[in-house]
Amino acid sequence: MGVACLSNYLISYGLFMNSKQLRDKYSIVGVGYTPQGNVPNLTAVSFYLEACVNAILDAGLKKEDIDGLMVYRHFEPLANDTEITPYLIAQHLGIRPSIVGQEANCARGHLINALGLLEAGFCNYVLIAYGDNAFSGRRTFLKEATHGEPEGDNGAFGEFGLVANYALAARRGMHIFGTGPNTWREIAVSQRKWANLNPIAMMSKKGLSYEEYDNAKWLVEPFRIYDACPISDGGRAYIVTSTERARDLKQKPVYIMGIGEYNPSVDVHQSDFMEGPTGAKEAGKIAFTMADISIDDIDACQIYDCFTYTVEVTLQDYGFFKPGEGYDWFKDGRTAPGGDLPVNTSGGLLSEAYFMGLTPLTEGVMQLMSRCGDRQLGPKTDTKKPQIILCSDNGGVFQSNSTVILRSS
Amino acid sequence: MGYDKPVPKPNSDTRVFWAGCKDHELRFQKCKECGHVRWPPSVVCPKCYSSETEWIVSKGKGRVYSFVVYHVAFHPAFRDEVPYVTAIVELQEGPHLLTNIVGCKASEIKCDMPVEVIWEDITEEFSLPKFKPT
Repeated sequence: MGVACLSNYLISYGLFMNSKQLRDKYSIVGVGYTPQGNVPNLTAVSFYLEACVNAILDAGLKKEDIDGLMVYRHFEPLANDTEITPYLIAQHLGIRPSIVGQEANCARGHLINALGLLEAGFCNYVLIAYGDNAFSGRRTFLKEATHGEPEGDNGAFGEFGLVANYALAARRGMHIFGTGPNTWREIAVSQRKWANLNPIAMMSKKGLSYEEYDNAKWLVEPFRIYDACPISDGGRAYIVTSTERARDLKQKPVYIMGIGEYNPSVDVHQSDFMEGPTGAKEAGKIAFTMADISIDDIDACQIYDCFTYTVEVTLQDYGFFKPGEGYDWFKDGRTAPGGDLPVNTSGGLLSEAYFMGLTPLTEGVMQLMSRCGDRQLGPKTDTKKPQIILCSDNGGVFQSNSTVILRSS
Repeated sequence: MGYDKPVPKPNSDTRVFWAGCKDHELRFQKCKECGHVRWPPSVVCPKCYSSETEWIVSKGKGRVYSFVVYHVAFHPAFRDEVPYVTAIVELQEGPHLLTNIVGCKASEIKCDMPVEVIWEDITEEFSLPKFKPT
């Protein structure tokens, strides 16, 4: 027993020591956007391509430079669309990458896998992308979760996927540490204020008051419609390379200061730790150890926010506040424009658009590149000019977490 | 009019469970090596990796671990059911089972509330284990 503990300790210690050598060694060097929101008559693949081309152009690279391509999980193709694969994207981009990858089932390993490939020397420039025509193709939550058919035996009980899955976790959180809609309302309203500063956000022109939140209909209780992110058309992509190579490129590189990943893996239906900690706790520890900083050094956060509660429990698991203290922490606009700790400054998945973990991560990059217009952190939004931004991507139902700490160069 | 909601789709792992439900028995695998009662069924104990397994019958008593109230029908066959409750029940033997809470108002349900199984025979082939307050 003692020997096993010691060896575990040494393995952990060794892992963390090595990871510190990777601090700032790799950088994000370009971001690709597309029109987003309600953009009809386009296939999912077309959004992928537009995002990828724009990321390559943004970085000032040639397409031939891209030797790694990773795409997010594909959903069931809508209408007569083609199934998304990295081969399909590479073919249309006219590239022949050494390495391709696609994460199934919402696992969030894209960036950490890309860093492994770069560090091992298999790739020099990795392109990571996501696209979908979910809004105009009318992808329902049922289709998103289950390819249209209830999964396994759950449908027999009327249990249909993601909204209810996250709502189960949220309800357990309410019971164990006393959260609830009052806390989530703060999150929804604060993020909407950021979206109102972002002309490309789906909810750019729509305000959200406390009253509107309180009066909104239940979706799956305890979630109201404003607790759930809407679906969108569009795509997003970014490119990662070594910081050394990044110095020759068009944009000011954004350093990957720390990264950590952790996969609790257990299906929410069988989880005996439904209230947390989520994967953010361990992934965060690994990322903060690599970056060699603490949460006090974080200037802003971009947190995967499929639901309002996801933001709360993720920040809680990082240690920004103790379980149950979320309401006091979020209230009075701490995370809104003008607040001490801005969170989800594009509006996030809840109010900007849904591009998986690329919505939060690319917003962190763009903020540190100072390319965010009216929502730019700093004097323009009465917030601190950011040096370090914490980004979080969450997959499955709290089954996978990737935590990334970005630093401006 | 036939039963139009989705029905279970037993596979070689879950067949014993659903056959048990037909007999109004909640059957779970118990590891003969370490005694862990597991759900969903599998060929190996996730605690000790033993494949020596026996099937036990649960007493059908437990507590509500968590629950939600569907106010929207994501499936057309549930349009007349909303609002309805899906829940995870933690059985006394250990497994966390997805189910419905019936026999009380949604507003009366609380986490950790004690419940017991009640059977709903939905087709010739299938019965669903649902739970009501004790």
